[in-house]
Parts: sequence; C-alpha cells; structure tokens
Amino acid sequence: MESSGTGVSKQVLERILDTEKLKYCFECGICTASCSMAEMLGNDYNPRTLLEQIYLNPETVLGSDELWLCAWCYRCQKRCPQGLKLPEIFLSIRSIAKEHGNVKSFDRALQKIVKSIPLPLITTLVCFHPERAGLENEKVLEQIEQIRGEWLKTKKAEKSAKAAEKVAVIGSGPAGLTVTYELGKKGYPVTIFEALPELGGMLRKCIPEYRLPTKVLTREIQFIKDLGVEVKTGTEVGKDVRFEDLQKESYRAVFIGAGAHKSQGLRVEGGDLNGVTHALDFLWGSNSGKKLEIGKNVVVVGGGNVAVDAARTALFKGAKEVTILYRRSKEEMPANLWEVKEAEGEGVKIEFLVSPKKILGEKGRVSAIECVRMQLGEPDESGRRKAFPVEGSEFKRETDMVVLAIGEVPDVGFLPKQVELNDDGTVWVNPITMETSMPGLFAGGDAVTGPASVIEAIRDGKRAAESIESYLKSEERVRK
Amino acid sequence: MSESKESKPRQDGQIRIGVYVCHCGLNIAGSVDCGEVAKFAATLPNVVLAQDNRYTCSDQGQAGIKKDIQEQKLNRVVVASCSPRLHEPTFRKACEDAGLNKYLFEMANIREHCSWVHLYDKEAATEKAKDLVKMAVAKVALLEPEDEVSVPITRKALVIGGGVAGIQAALDLADTGYKVYLVEKEPSIGGMMARIDKTFPTMDCSICILAPKMSDAGHHPNIELLTNSEVAEVKGYIGNFHVKVLRKPRYVTKDCSACGECVKVCPIVAPNEFDVGLAVRHGVYTPFAQAVPSTYIIDMSLCLNKEGVIVCDKCTKACERQAISFEMKPVTEELEVGTIIVATGADVFDPSVLPNYGYGKIANVITTLEFERLINAGGPSGGHLIRPSDKQIPKRVAFVQCVGSRSARSGRLYCSNVCCMNTIKDSLLIKEHWPDTEIYVFYVDIRAYGKGFEDLYKRARNAGVVFIRGLPAEIVEDKKTHNVWLIGENTLRKEVYRISADMAILSIGLEARKDSETIQRLLTLSRNQDGFFLEAHPKLRPVDAATAGVFFAGCAESPKDIKDSVTQASAAAARAGILMAKGQVTVEAITPTLFPEKCKVCGLCVKVCPYNAISLNKDLKRVEIIEAACGGCGTCAAECNFGALTQKHFTDEQIMAQIDAITENEAEKKIVAFCCNWCSYAGADFAGVSRMQYPPNARIIRTMCSGRVAQKFVERAFARGVASVLVSGCHLGDCHYINANYQTQKRVERLWKKMEQNGLDKQRLQLLWASAAEGEKFASKMREMKTIVENVKPEEIEKGKKVFATALEGD
Amino acid sequence: MPERIRHAPLDLEQFKPAKAEIHLIKDECKGCGYCIEFCPKKVLEESDEINARGVHPPKVVDEDKCIICSFCSAVCPDFAIFVVEKKNKEGK
Repeated sequence: MESSGTGVSKQVLERILDTEKLKYCFECGICTASCSMAEMLGNDYNPRTLLEQIYLNPETVLGSDELWLCAWCYRCQKRCPQGLKLPEIFLSIRSIAKEHGNVKSFDRALQKIVKSIPLPLITTLVCFHPERAGLENEKVLEQIEQIRGEWLKTKKAEKSAKAAEKVAVIGSGPAGLTVTYELGKKGYPVTIFEALPELGGMLRKCIPEYRLPTKVLTREIQFIKDLGVEVKTGTEVGKDVRFEDLQKESYRAVFIGAGAHKSQGLRVEGGDLNGVTHALDFLWGSNSGKKLEIGKNVVVVGGGNVAVDAARTALFKGAKEVTILYRRSKEEMPANLWEVKEAEGEGVKIEFLVSPKKILGEKGRVSAIECVRMQLGEPDESGRRKAFPVEGSEFKRETDMVVLAIGEVPDVGFLPKQVELNDDGTVWVNPITMETSMPGLFAGGDAVTGPASVIEAIRDGKRAAESIESYLKSEERVRK
Repeated sequence: MSESKESKPRQDGQIRIGVYVCHCGLNIAGSVDCGEVAKFAATLPNVVLAQDNRYTCSDQGQAGIKKDIQEQKLNRVVVASCSPRLHEPTFRKACEDAGLNKYLFEMANIREHCSWVHLYDKEAATEKAKDLVKMAVAKVALLEPEDEVSVPITRKALVIGGGVAGIQAALDLADTGYKVYLVEKEPSIGGMMARIDKTFPTMDCSICILAPKMSDAGHHPNIELLTNSEVAEVKGYIGNFHVKVLRKPRYVTKDCSACGECVKVCPIVAPNEFDVGLAVRHGVYTPFAQAVPSTYIIDMSLCLNKEGVIVCDKCTKACERQAISFEMKPVTEELEVGTIIVATGADVFDPSVLPNYGYGKIANVITTLEFERLINAGGPSGGHLIRPSDKQIPKRVAFVQCVGSRSARSGRLYCSNVCCMNTIKDSLLIKEHWPDTEIYVFYVDIRAYGKGFEDLYKRARNAGVVFIRGLPAEIVEDKKTHNVWLIGENTLRKEVYRISADMAILSIGLEARKDSETIQRLLTLSRNQDGFFLEAHPKLRPVDAATAGVFFAGCAESPKDIKDSVTQASAAAARAGILMAKGQVTVEAITPTLFPEKCKVCGLCVKVCPYNAISLNKDLKRVEIIEAACGGCGTCAAECNFGALTQKHFTDEQIMAQIDAITENEAEKKIVAFCCNWCSYAGADFAGVSRMQYPPNARIIRTMCSGRVAQKFVERAFARGVASVLVSGCHLGDCHYINANYQTQKRVERLWKKMEQNGLDKQRLQLLWASAAEGEKFASKMREMKTIVENVKPEEIEKGKKVFATALEGD
Repeated sequence: MPERIRHAPLDLEQFKPAKAEIHLIKDECKGCGYCIEFCPKKVLEESDEINARGVHPPKVVDEDKCIICSFCSAVCPDFAIFVVEKKNKEGK
C-alpha cells in the first residue's frame, strides 16, 4: 500500500487493517450499483472510488464529504464478491476524520443530503448516525432545518401551477412519504391512505423512541403535510376503502407503499399461550405508549432488524435478561452488524444455531421454550446455508415472554389478481420504472423488497415518484 | 531380507568430510555470511575441507566436488545450500560419478529454512546456518554406504479419466509400446471437450477434432478401455501397483450395433446429463452420438425392471442382436500396473448459490455450459441459440464474467483461466450465425494470454461486441416479457447502467471435482486449498505427484484450456514412459536394519507397518522384513523398544547426533523441530519459497515420516536442555505412508501425559499437522513457539533435564 | 458433470408416448390380482363390481399412464387382459 509518509496516513491504514484488507478489491463496481445513496446522489457519491482513494490517498479522504454519505443499508457488503465490509471501513475513517477535526466536510455532506435526499431529519437519525462519529444529533438536526429553510425560500418561487392528476399513496412509511413529498413539491394533488391512526408506517410503529424521537418524526411529517396533501388516516385500503373504488374516484396513478407488516407465524405448539407476542405488535404497543407487560426473562426468536429492535426495546423497558435465538450463524444473520454490536453492548445475549421446537406453558402462560440445536448444510436458494436440526440435542430454556420476529411479509391481499407477486409474496415491479404488472399502479419499499432499510424505501419512493411523473405526463399527451 | 549390520562409528582420522557452503548467488549470501559458515565448518570434527562457492549445483560446482572427492580422498560430503527435496538427487549423482557411494552425502538446508525466512536478521541467520551445518556434519560422520535394491517395473500404465487429457496420455503411452488401461467413470470417454461446440482460438469444431482421437483410443491394440468403471482400490508402490477396478454393468452386451431401435420403444424419459438437462434421453440410451465405445447402456435407476423382475421387455424384443441382458453384474477387475496418470478433470461452478443473479429462478439466465449445448448443432435445439422461456432467438445477449471465480463470497479465489476466452469465442459464434444480435460482455479483466488469444479478442471487438467493465450487481426479471435487466456500474465511465437483455449468460468457473477426495485417498495425494491436486514442485516437476509413479494431466491439477491439457498429458506420458523404459526402479535404501539378537518378538513393529512388510517368525524368534514392499517410513524403528530395528540413513544414532549438535550451545533458546519429508518439511520449504519471515529459533531435523520420531528422541532433546520441541507431519488421513502418523499422535500424547505428571509445561512440546501447501501455517507456528521459548524459565529447563535424564543413559 | 439441473429439457413436447387401449375380458378373470400388483405404472385397481365367477375383476384407473409393457397380459393365468396400441386417424 502506498503511504504518503505522514503520521496521518499510517494511522489511517493501521485502523483500516483492523476491519478488512482493502487489497482484495478488484473494482467490479457492484457496490456502487447496489448503493441507494449513489443512485439518489448521482455523481456526488461513489463508494467504489471512495474505497480506492482510501488506500491510494488517505489524506484526501479525510477531508472529503463523500465519507459522510454512507447510509448503512449494507447492500454493498451483501453483494461484494470479496465480502469487503465497506460501512465498517467508512466508519473507521470517519472517526479518524473527527479526531482530526474535519467536520467541515460533514457540513458539505449535509448540504447534499438536504438537496437530494427526502426526509432528511429522519434519515440523518436513522441512516447516517452522526452520533457514531461523535457529533450531537440535536445540533445536526438544527443545521438541517436551517439549510432546509434557506433552500425552501429559493424553491417557493419555483412552485409550478397546480397539476390536475390526482395520485393516491397507500401507506405512509418512508416510501409513501417520499412519493408524497416529491410529487407534492411539484404540485400534484396527493392523497395518503394510512391504516393506523397516525402517519409514519414502520418509522412510527417499530423504530424505537431512543433511535427516532417522536417529535422529530412529527416535525418531518408536518413539513410534508404543509405541502398541501390530503391525509386519510385510520383508513385501511381493502377494509375501509375498496381498491377498486380508488380507480372510480379518478386517481390517475396509485403508489403502494404498504410495507411488510404481516408477521410470519411460528408453526410450533404453544404459539397461543399468554406471553407470546409478535415483534411488530410488541413494538407498536411500546411506541404508541401502551402499558406493556414485560417479562423478566425474555426470549426473542429471529435474526433480522426487527428482532434486534424488539430485544433492545424489551431490555430498555425493564426486562432482566433478554436473549435472541437465531437458527443460523453470525455470518448469515440478516440484521445490520452495527445494530447487533450495539445490542450486545447493551447486554442483549444472542445464541446462534438454535431453533424453537415447542413453547411450554403453565396455567395458560408461557413458562419455558424447548429448543433444538441446529447445524448448517449446503446453501439453499437464498445463498445462505440451510439449517437443519441436530438429532437429540433438545434442551429447555426458562422464559416468561416470547417475542416472535421470524420474518415479515407484505399484506397485499387487497390487490386485484392481475397484479403479479413474487414467490415470497412481495409485489413484482419493473426495476427501472417501479411499475407493477398493472399499468398506472406503482409500488416500492418493503412491499417490493421484503423487510429492508429505510434508505432503500426512500430510494424506491424517489424512483417511483419520477416514474409516476413521466407516466402522468405521457398519459396527458395521449389524452390530448 | 536384510541381515544385521554392525554399525559402530569409525575411528577418527578415517572419516574425511568435505563441506561446501553455497552462496546460491545472493539467495543465501544475501542474508547468511557464507565465508564465516565455511570457516566454522572447518573447525568441526572430521572435516578436512570446507569452502564456500557461488553455485554449487552448477557444472563447475559439481566438478569441483568430484575433483575434491578424488584428489582429497573425501569419503563424506556435506553441501549446505537449498532444500534436499530439490537437489539431493543432483549431488548424489555427482558423488556417485566420482566413485563415492551416494548415501555418504548429506545436505544442510540453509536457504528455504534459513536465508529466505530470516532475510533481515543476518547475525541470527548465520548462527542458524552454522548450527545446520554442524548437524549435517554430525550425521554424515555416522552414515554408512548402502546398496539400493532394484525392483522390476510392470510395463503397463493406468490412466484414470477419459477426457482429452486422459485420451492423449493413453495414446502417447500406447504408441510408445506400453499397455494402457483407460478407466472412465462415465459410459463414454470424451469428458467435457465432447460437449463444447467450438474451441478457441481457431474456432475448430470440438467434437470433430476429438472424435478421431476417441476412435483411436477405442481401437488401439495397446489400450484397454474400461468405461462405466471406477477405481476401487490401489495398493503397492511405484512400478508395482495392484489396482482393483469396479466395472459397473451396462446391461447391454458387446453385441450391440448401436442401431438405436431399443431407444425408440423405451417408455422411460429423463433429462440427459450430457446436455445439462436441456434435452431428454430414454432409459436405454447412448450419451451422445459419437460415444466411444458405442455400446448403449441402460440406466437401471429409472428402468422399470427392478430386482430381477422383468416387467417391461420392449427393448429386449426390439434388439435384433439380442444384446440386452438384465442379468449383468458388477465385475471387479484386478490390474497390475507400473505407473498411474490421474486425468480426472474438473467440475463447473453452480451459480445457484449467488441469489442476486437469479440462476435457477429466472428462466432466461443460463450458464456457458448450457450455452455450449444450445449452440451445438447436435444439441437439443439443433444449433439455434434459443431462450428457454419462449424458445425464440434472442436479439440482445449479455455475458457476465467471473461468476464463481476470483471471489471470496463464492469460496473460489482463483482465476479459472478459460472463461474470458470462452466468452469471446461464444460471442463470435453468435455473431457468425446471427450478425444482428447485440452482445454485451460485463467483465473485470479480459485475460487473453495465449497464442492467438489477443487476435480473437480483437476480432470480437471488431465484430461489434460491446465490452463493459463492471459486473452487474443484480439480474432482475421482467415478468411480462421474461427479459432480464442487468444493473451495475460502468467503472470506466463511472455511471450506473441498467441494460435490458433478452438473455443473460453466466460465465462460470471451473472447480475441483467433488470426488477428487476419493482419488486423493486411494493414491495418497495432496490437494491445495482450492481442492486441485498438488504437484511435486510447481516449477520443476509440474506433472509429477509427490507420490512416486503417479502423474497428473489436465484440469485435475488446475483449470486450463484444451491446449494446455493436451500438453500436460503428453508430458505425463513422457514422464511415465521414462520409468517404464528403464524397466526397473531402484528402491531407495532407507529400509529397516534388523539386529536379530535384540528382537524380543513382541510384534509391535508388525502392527504399525502400513505396508504389511514385516512378519513375525516365531520359529526363528525374530521378525522378517520384505524389503521390496517397505515404504521407508521408519515407524517400525521408532516403535521398537529394544533397539532391534533401525532405519538405514536415518538411524537412531544419526538422529541423536543431530539433536546433540543442536543442543550443544544455548539450547535454552532453541527449538528442535522434527519434520516429515513429504508434508511438513515441504511446507517449511514453501514458507521459504514464499519468503514468509519467522523467528530463527528452530532447527529442523528431517525424517521421511513423522512416524520415525521415537519418544526417546524428544526425551533426549529435553534432557539436553532444549527450550521446546516441535513434532510435525502430514494431516491425519493424508499421511504419505497411509497411516503412520497416527503412531506419531499416540507417542506425542504419551509424552504430554508424562510431562504433565512430572509437573512440566506441556506447551514445550508442540504437535503440528501441516501439508506441503501450508507454508503460512508453519510460519505462524514458528512465531507462536518463539513466545513459548521466551517464556520458558531456567528452572523449567533444569527440571526437564532431570525428568528425562534416562534418555541420556547408554551414552 | 453438474449435479443440479436447473432448466427443463427444451424438447419435452416432442415425446408423445403411444396411447394404450386396455382390453379386459371381465368374465374370464378369476380375481388373482397379479395384474394389479405387477403393473409398473399402477394403472389397474380392484373394482367393486362382481363378475360371472363371483370375484372383483380389475378396472382401469388411468389409461393414459399405460406404457404398453404388456406385463399384465404376460402374467395373467387366464388370458383375461391384453393391451394394444391405439391407432390414430391415419391408421399408424
């Protein structure tokens, strides 16, 4: 590796060599192609060249604003042929940059974020994590509001005349909010249909308070409401309103951002005992301020972000011991690695290669969970090694609360039959236009990808908004 | 049978040792002060001549040695230079030419084990070199002249694998005049080459150039074709292998005229493996039209007639030659051969484990192997490249390179060699037939290294094939049209591309066959970490296996194209031919020496011999040794508690002299390391060749097998005050002498127990299993042991001396 | 040879097996059941009706599955069953 000879470079290189050996990168470009931020920021951000710069010229990287733009969705790491841990490498460099006081570059990054990334307040907290580089969240949020205020003043003059085509957005999670924001900015009359009594989707339902404070979420949503969109909360499409009625009410385009809110059930005995809950219900209960009974010895089944969130929330709310049971090994765990590290740091225990067999109860209430040890075999269709039980390795574990977080699927039963679904129940869309197999019907976010990160939903929303706009314009031309 | 020999060391004055310290250019002289080592050597007992020269292995150097042997009347020679695994035969021959018995020669490895691994510590390297020379001098003084036994070589060869490499090797050997058995697992020879359409760079039709060779192999009077057969057992040694081959039944006799009438009436239909499942065959079938032998075969796992009950006799009725026989049984044939050539080939990577490419889920994503079958005129689509979803000819095709190669995620870090050229050839083929097709190739590097390859690449570019540098991150299907979207970054233009194509073709890499482990066990071969077989030396002996008499040809040894496979096959045939031309092979004189008066007929040596070369003769109250069957491991000598057996050229006295030489000075800072010739010593050599640096505490004593290391050697080392001892050998199950290293394990465990019971730190005795490819493992062990050495206290050393003091008795 | 085959054969439609016509002489059957037991494609099943001999003759479950191996007629002790190939319109 080239060393420019100063003390800074040596320090940088030594820190990185702890996380990964950069020399294996063969510049295939898969990271940039997968990156949500690269898509939204265009030429302003390229993770591949950033990585290249780190080992060719570490000094410039310390002062570059690109360093602060990674949103931790881990898509690059999952697909990299060499398995390079890009988010971790960037984090190491960020802390070095902070040590050297290079925070001016962070300000420049913020400018870019406000310009191109919708929902900047939310994304800063949930995706960019300035606190991991030692910056104070409140200060950063104020900065963003300030920049946004200035930018708005210039933008207000540009607002175009009101367009006539009505657009319906089903679901007010990050994908739905993004579409609303992008189209609302341009003057389209958007109506949001949200089943819960308040807007926000997973942001409000599942992301715990300490990660995304409710007042920040409200601030962001207010900003969107101020664009003049129609909000219909407490209205579930398929129940309160029929999908076919939307077309009758002359919505020219519909966007489905319904997310993945149906928890998959665990097919074991004892799933209906008292004390067994689904993680989504548990988190929604916790976030909506309901009084929850938290057991002392909580067991969470699953390995995704929802499982980790539920475990941390349970600990936060007073459980003595929280253990996550995951049936595969650490390498295959789908949750973000940083979340897992933070959870372990807070005291959450994780047991790998364990799967529940039966939930045992006394007097209708959960008392123990019988598990079996698993071993890994050949990879299955998802590329992860298949887990199958080791005969005779059953063991019992005491517990008084079981939280199930083994996967969520979209609840899109209200869609007509002609809308094609993928094998796993998600909605199929054309990856360029985000249009489903029914013309005029678009989809994005968890409803399309399955459970994924906020920034990916925002990216989907942005793509869909552009696509809806060109669809409406072309429709207009056709009708004219 | 061997007789007892008295081996007392000769008196001083009668032994005249010549020591040559080689500079090897700067390879050794760069980190070792050879002049100083030579001066030191002159001071050692019995040394009458010590000099340093630049290139001892050169003609000049060798001539110098020969001259000194004759003029200075030297009767022992030590050369301190490179690894004996490289040049011991060279110098032994030089000694022989000068009239000195070649077993009176010893080498000190001051290059791979010293100068190359201690590049930056000249002082320590020079001290270590001096110690290594001292060890060699001590051993050589005790060496005795030996005569080698000659064993006749069976003038027949076995070729395992009937691909193009196996066929070429068989033809070359058969043309030379030797009988060859060609064993092939599948019902027909031809291998992978029979399936591809055209070859690069000449765009020759593959089966057209292969079929004449296959036919020659089938008709050659010296080649016996054993298809649908597998090698079940291999016993013996070079020149005298006893092989058992299991011939699985075809259920069709040799009377078959390949008319094909049976196929027309067979009701069973199954996917044809030859066409990668893209076409259909029947229960009775021939794998492909040009199959050799042309006899058909019945797939009994699908046939309706099971367990002798004949339910359907349509094929029997249809056959005019009455060639179908359901009574055929598997037959085991026993063969006697002199040499074996392994040409088992390679498998292809299965991309279903890469979920972002959608292979197996998206209909229009295929592999290059499936492409070969589609574009082949004899294939399932008659030579038309069609999309699996709607059988239309695509107008836009995308090739994705490096699938399953050069990637840690897929578990295969190496480059598969042939995929770049294969894609270029495929794109030219498509352009030839359908010139308007748009072709995109997504690559990271284009490797067009061979003769005519760059020209083919230029032709492809001129024909309008678009090369984009940047692999797709994912391949997504459009469910309406079944087209595919490839999304990736064009790294040269720094823009993300989203290209829609009618079909995507994944350029998959080659990987080691899953059954290569079976061949490895049968022939006691080594494999590298990618699973391919390991050659004896990567540069100088690229087709020899470490096991004498076994050679490699083709992709079994590493991925390569047809030209290199054929070249290697001819090379292997030539090497095998050398052995068989001589007609006899000399067995190295490292067989056991028996002292019958000490034999107590306990039978322990009989139990541990992996070759069953020792038998008990109760009447004569001694054991008897069959020298020709002896493999030369020395385990029997290590096992004998009564001193009745010792191994020639590695006697107890010689090894103990080496231990004494090491521990004479500063023993508390040193490690005595016992390394087996085939694996761990080779692994240490490999660490040297790769210039891995490690601390200079170790002094390596070479034995043929780790099984030679007797308990008393380790005990003696501790008794002399050494800080730490390392015993290393091949991995369990991979021992070159089949299973001798299990004895090593037992002995080390006994020693550990004894150390624990006597309050000694058992960390001082380390056991390492390392293969010849694991240089890094050896180097890390050395680094680990340095810490152990530094932490050993003087009281611990003294205690060790006391506990094992009995080892010094009888001195 | 790759072990997992991922694509369906492209020429599957070309294989049209001959259609079978199964003829049962019901009243000859003595109900031994050999034809039912030995049919490799399990085309026959014991029926509920009773024939002249007072036993249950076989009935055809799925004539399309029959591969005209004729084992049923080979094994029948009473020559009560035989199979022919169905001729199509051209008489082939």
